[in-house]
Amino acid sequence: MTLIQERPSGPGLYSEEAEPLTQIVPGPRPRGVVKFITSTDHKQIGLNYMVTAFTGFLVSGIMAELMRTQLAGPDNHVLTANAYNQLVTMHGTVMLFVFGGPFAFGLANYILPLQIGAPDMAFPRFNNLSYWLYLGGFLVMMSGFLTNNGAADFGWFSYAPLSEAIHTPGPGVDMWILGIALTGFSGIFTAVNVITTVFTLRAPGMVMFRMPIFVWNSMVTLFLVLLAFPVLTAALALLWCDRHLGTSFYNPVGGGQPMLWLNLFWFFGHPEVYILALPYFGVVTEVFATFSKKPVFGYKGMIAATLSIAGLSMGVWAHHLYTTGAVLLPFFAALSLLIAVPTGIKFFNWIGTMWQGVLTLNTAMLFAIGFLIIFLCGGITGVMLAQPPLDFQLHNTYFLVAHFHYVLLGTTVFGAFASIYYWFPKYTGRLLDERLGKLSFAIMFVATNLTYFPMHDLGLRGMPRRVFTYPANAGWTFLNQLATIGAYLLGIGVLFTVINVFLSFRRGEIAGDNPWDGQTLEWATSSPPPEHNFEILPPIRSERPLWDANHPDQLTEVGH
Amino acid sequence: MLLIVGAREPIDDLPPAGAGDRCRKDRLVGALSTGILADWGSPHGVTTGDRLVRSEWALNYYIALPLAAVVLGGIIWCVVRYRARPGENRRARQFQYHIPIEATYTIIPLILVAVIFFVAFNNENKLTHVSEHPGLVVNVQGFQWGWRFTYPNGHQELGSVATEPSINDESALPVLYLPAHETVQLDLVSDDVIHGFYVPAFLYQRDLIPGVKNQVDFNVTRTGKWIGECNELCGTYHAFMRFEVDAMPKSKFDAWYHAQKPNSITVAGANQQ
Amino acid sequence: MRVEFRVCLGAALFLGIIDLIYWFTSNDDAGTACLLFSFFAYALIGSFLFLQWRRRKGIPRPEDRDDAEMSDGAGEVGFFPAASIWPAGIGIGAVFLAIGLIYGVWYLFIGGVFVIGSLIGFMVEAEAREEGPDDPGFPAVGPTGPDPETRAATPGTSR
Repeated sequence: MTLIQERPSGPGLYSEEAEPLTQIVPGPRPRGVVKFITSTDHKQIGLNYMVTAFTGFLVSGIMAELMRTQLAGPDNHVLTANAYNQLVTMHGTVMLFVFGGPFAFGLANYILPLQIGAPDMAFPRFNNLSYWLYLGGFLVMMSGFLTNNGAADFGWFSYAPLSEAIHTPGPGVDMWILGIALTGFSGIFTAVNVITTVFTLRAPGMVMFRMPIFVWNSMVTLFLVLLAFPVLTAALALLWCDRHLGTSFYNPVGGGQPMLWLNLFWFFGHPEVYILALPYFGVVTEVFATFSKKPVFGYKGMIAATLSIAGLSMGVWAHHLYTTGAVLLPFFAALSLLIAVPTGIKFFNWIGTMWQGVLTLNTAMLFAIGFLIIFLCGGITGVMLAQPPLDFQLHNTYFLVAHFHYVLLGTTVFGAFASIYYWFPKYTGRLLDERLGKLSFAIMFVATNLTYFPMHDLGLRGMPRRVFTYPANAGWTFLNQLATIGAYLLGIGVLFTVINVFLSFRRGEIAGDNPWDGQTLEWATSSPPPEHNFEILPPIRSERPLWDANHPDQLTEVGH
Repeated sequence: MLLIVGAREPIDDLPPAGAGDRCRKDRLVGALSTGILADWGSPHGVTTGDRLVRSEWALNYYIALPLAAVVLGGIIWCVVRYRARPGENRRARQFQYHIPIEATYTIIPLILVAVIFFVAFNNENKLTHVSEHPGLVVNVQGFQWGWRFTYPNGHQELGSVATEPSINDESALPVLYLPAHETVQLDLVSDDVIHGFYVPAFLYQRDLIPGVKNQVDFNVTRTGKWIGECNELCGTYHAFMRFEVDAMPKSKFDAWYHAQKPNSITVAGANQQ
Repeated sequence: MRVEFRVCLGAALFLGIIDLIYWFTSNDDAGTACLLFSFFAYALIGSFLFLQWRRRKGIPRPEDRDDAEMSDGAGEVGFFPAASIWPAGIGIGAVFLAIGLIYGVWYLFIGGVFVIGSLIGFMVEAEAREEGPDDPGFPAVGPTGPDPETRAATPGTSR
């Protein structure tokens, strides 16, 4: 089936002579499971990504609940040491490689072509392939639990030489290595695809500086993927050689250097943190703009901030390695602290976007505001940890655990939930239930703070991370119990959204094409969008073409 | 909410049983006399590094609290003031840029970050400084799963875990005996996997990495006993890889040291059985 | 194209400078090599885009012009293949290859068959599509569809 696209010759949206934008040669349109497997439509693939990623989130969440149960009391024996270590490892791995990044890739797949007025991604079949590699990676990784020695149990950053064959034998580790390698390839393919799409398939008039912030952030994220994942894949290949082919890149016994793994891994690992965060920065930017009925404040500053965060993030990997005593402290401290500046700019721009707006406080907006508050806490502790003197005290304690959960829950989870509530009408044509949504938000917001705030104090009291049990006389019991209660509550909060999605999928209120009075092009098409997306496009004269078309009397003010 | 961190018990109250009450009282008096802010955030350390780390904390709180208040206040103000009320027919002003304001919130954070960097740089250099003439050099070896502390005369304090003991049992922990008020240099080495040498009361840690020679100096300013931990996941019994630090007055330490035969080994918990 | 290559070359420049600083101040080869890789990766993309821009002699595409109308982009946008089973085949093959690396030759063999077979299918499918609309099994030109001659005259670029 060949498909040839033609742009209309008419002037655009809301004119009488508008002609259909796409001309599609009909062919078989697979449905159901066949569609899920074979579709090259970016929207189907995006949904596949998001559903799989959310499954990963739930699986990994269950692991977290198990770990919190084990830590609910001192000298507890719900889990064995080995089981706990496996859960620690797989919780981190699945959250990062299966949920955080790929959920954003799914969003980028679904929303990004719509926002730039493209008919599809640049390489549709390649796109489908990256989904299958990702799903394969997820399954391979998880099937480590089915092997004799269990899944990998050395923490998600798998410090060599603990991950070498002499210390951790067994196929579970190899499953982990290959699973991550597969998701890594998938990420690289997605990156190539998205970047090409942004560079070549924009609608006429959609210049780079008119693209929505979400598109910018996704593109920059995938640039980071393009740099980070090859390094990780190379490092994993060397690790595999060490384990099976008798080399010793990381094995000190054969003259290898553990520091090599640490450097290579974190060279991937720190950009990975921004890979997890930046797309969700984009999501909440869209949400704030739409529900404040205003343009994004400081649009160009926002893009500059995104670019500088991405650039700086390539040069800060060793702030995870301050306590190794083998890295250049001032270099990494300076660059790490500098990242606070563009991040701060983003914060103020978000506030500026809401300033004097007309704020609709629905669930998506609430999740976005929750994102701001939680990420603010994580950002401040991040600045603390970027200073070597404090990192020497806090590194690898529960303070660190609290810090990165504030950052990642704030950005990834709250951002992802905001995106679900914001774009669900576009995916299905139906609205999510607001009451269930607000309940879910309230529980999740309280629970997040209840779970992770006590962990700051635990860290200051010297509780190391990744210990599967702790003594009764250390004074850690009460705070751990608070955290455990919080974790259970958090699970309940997430469950409400899951129920909401299931209920609203069939019975939700009909949304219409543009339920939120949206500003960007994804709301200019039907919900869900037809194959190849657009019948007609409004003329693109600013970064919010649909708003300009719908509110010609409220154009962005020029000046300042 | 950051206040909760401040209102916590100092960590050094916990391990030396019985000494807690006095410490708490000391701390309260100290906090009132030296300014409460300086005591926020971190427990008191027991080494000379304590002053540096807590000055760093204080700096952070002076900067972080106002900044957090501004941002949080901005968010709350927007939500309360600008939320759409039912029946309200207000239009938002469609402004997008305001260069002076944007420049302000770029430049002020830059200055703050520069200040933090220089203070941190200064403190970090002092904390990582290694003395040329330490009073005592102890070789600290971490292994799966235990510690070996080797003194200059070859005496070893050893303790290890091979099965799962009760985590509450602290009688079998290896002990690192140190003289107080003296610069002690620790050579941190590991032959198998990466471990972390972490004594919470020292407010300091350093990794033990095969192939990397790490040296740290401590000058413990009080006598007492504290718990130390391995702080880098090192395998199954990572959680049990703990040890005890016993800082003694110089005279008492010397007496203990001379009582140990060269190249002898004391295995922790062995004499109880 | 201007913004695109400027972003990429700018990033390359930044990484190059960072790399130089890092190289001279630390003695860590791994990090220096990684930063050098990043520099080359961005420089590669950036210079490719720059050459494309040069080849267009600086004439902006419709998506690079502020004042472009929708009709300026009229004409063929690209070739967008419909559903295909082959990516899934490659994916399954990749999983078998991964398991084969752990459990042995037989899985490698199965994985290899899957991957190679699917790759062939993938490419043959693209070939068949380039030849035109007369694919057996994909009949019927819709009422809005362009007539076959136009399509045969302008074969899309296959991906």
